[in-house]
Amino acid sequence: MKTLILGLGNPILSDDSVGLRVARALEGRLNEQGVTVMETSVVGLGLLDLLTGYDRAIIIDAIQTVGGKAGQIYRLAPDAFHFTRHAAPPHDVNLATALELGSRLGLALPRQIVIFAIEVADASTFGEECTPEVMRAIPVCAEMVVEELNGNHISST
Amino acid sequence: MKKITIDPITRLEGHGKIEIFLNEEGDVENAYLQIPELRGFERFCEGRPLEEMPRITPRICGVCPEAHHMASTKATDAVYHVDPPPVAKKLRELFYSAHMIHSHIAHFYALAAPDFVLGPASDPAQRNILGLIARVGLEVGREVIKHRAYAQDIQAAIGGKATHPVCGLPGGMSKALTEEERRDFEEKAKSLVEFAKFSLKLFDDVVLANKEYLDLIVGDVYTMSSYYMGLVDANNKVNFYDGDIRVVDPEGKEFAKFKPADYLQHVAEHTEPWSYLKFPFLKRVGWKGLAEGRESGVYRVNSLARLNVADGMATPLAQAEYEKMYQALGGKPVHATLAFHWARLIELLYAAERLLELCRDREITDPGVRILPTATPDEGVGVVEAPRGTLFHHYQTDDRGLIKKVNLIVATAHNNPAMNMAIRKAAQRLIKKGKVTEGLLNMVEMAFRAYDPCMACATHSLPGQMPLEVVIRDSRGDVVKRLSQHLHPKPLGI
Repeated sequence: MKTLILGLGNPILSDDSVGLRVARALEGRLNEQGVTVMETSVVGLGLLDLLTGYDRAIIIDAIQTVGGKAGQIYRLAPDAFHFTRHAAPPHDVNLATALELGSRLGLALPRQIVIFAIEVADASTFGEECTPEVMRAIPVCAEMVVEELNGNHISST
Repeated sequence: MKKITIDPITRLEGHGKIEIFLNEEGDVENAYLQIPELRGFERFCEGRPLEEMPRITPRICGVCPEAHHMASTKATDAVYHVDPPPVAKKLRELFYSAHMIHSHIAHFYALAAPDFVLGPASDPAQRNILGLIARVGLEVGREVIKHRAYAQDIQAAIGGKATHPVCGLPGGMSKALTEEERRDFEEKAKSLVEFAKFSLKLFDDVVLANKEYLDLIVGDVYTMSSYYMGLVDANNKVNFYDGDIRVVDPEGKEFAKFKPADYLQHVAEHTEPWSYLKFPFLKRVGWKGLAEGRESGVYRVNSLARLNVADGMATPLAQAEYEKMYQALGGKPVHATLAFHWARLIELLYAAERLLELCRDREITDPGVRILPTATPDEGVGVVEAPRGTLFHHYQTDDRGLIKKVNLIVATAHNNPAMNMAIRKAAQRLIKKGKVTEGLLNMVEMAFRAYDPCMACATHSLPGQMPLEVVIRDSRGDVVKRLSQHLHPKPLGI
């Protein structure tokens, strides 16, 4: 099974970089096992190019939710974002729309996609550091990704 | 009528917001667009080497990193007082044409077309690129993805990376184009010209052939009289990469034409307490508030603005489409905001034709792509037309080339006054007696979607791009309706 671990984020926008950092933490460890680990800053339709050709993908990204606590980690299916199709995202399509478009067009997209999302405190200030709670979540999330690869799902409480 | 004051708490955090205030009759008293801004960019840049700026600034934007890369690279040329060799300029323009194509395809098919193909008041669950291809066919969807990928391949090959290019250096480019690449790009460019022609045909069939849509485009709801700004070449034709900045007045007459380095003599910025983003205006006209017409310094940038300021397009097929548009919409300038979409497709064709011309340029594979800068760096301005409008990068350095000061004016800022006015006008015309439907709100959003503003788009956080919130308040300031995209997932037990 061809697996892709994809960290998303902006490396110079404080906590927004967290997905990239989790991917980086896993790079040396997982590349040996034949898993591809990638860091990227692309969004929307551009993600289709990266996901095509893999059987399974684990995506790691930052998230901001109403009342969320920085450092919290969520395990989500792409379905979790379906409702966002209804509103008007500026610029590009969101992940759910991109995936559905890809599948309707017959692209070879992963059959399994899991998203690990880390609640962030500050993703709107330029800087090369994460906030402390988010920093602490990085090794925790990395372990969760490894567990996920080993077939052990961690469920939400 | 009750006077509305905006509470400072309405300053938003993290997402864009349209706020609509109703009066006691339930009609629209006022409407505002608020755009979140990322913080600390200038401080982040201070003290860093100038030549890092073309690699840092693309990170500001999630969708037009290439525009920032080019404006920044041109600014570094200016700071070092170095004029790149002709082949380097051509190679940059080739790269940049591919970027315009990439961006315009995504905007039209993912954002603009669904409003027309599915209808402005259609079910929002259908009004997206998926609904679009369900209507016009999977084959069109495949062509969209294929041609977007062609443009992306060209950007990535020259840029040196899939996104966030690293090719531009002060004085030129990092590497020359090989003959093999050139041949590949030429084939892709040919196909892109055909695809651009197809896209205009689709627009013709779906939008222009429908009288209701044509009325919507030229109607009062989406029409606004303003000045326009954009880059033009030596013949006053549209150019995305280089040239002088031309401004025309609301009657279409040249108001100003200046070198990019002189922008501060022409543009000033007004601030409002309720907005992070400033309100640029033409200095010589002055700030008269969010007002239309010749007496107000409000100007617009983006596709239609570029066509309005120019005397035409520099390539034959695009020129024919240019003439057709102005003939259909009653001559220059066109003030119809929804015509931004039409103008964008004409630009798509121009960009594809120009790409093909450059791929066939005898000099394009010349290896001498850089002149090493030798002058002492101090200060400089770089400008390109980003897909969404004129983009200024202005840097000052010390004599070692370390950044002292940075000033950027991005397209979304230029259009900030106009977008606020466009939303207010659409809301006032469409929302009456407190009747607010999702279809009407989408039609209000269409007024700003034409501009495709950047909502702190450098942020990648889920749910994917900045969500937009629409809030309607009654005459007491109470919220009567709120549309937004919030997530409530459960955290993992750790």
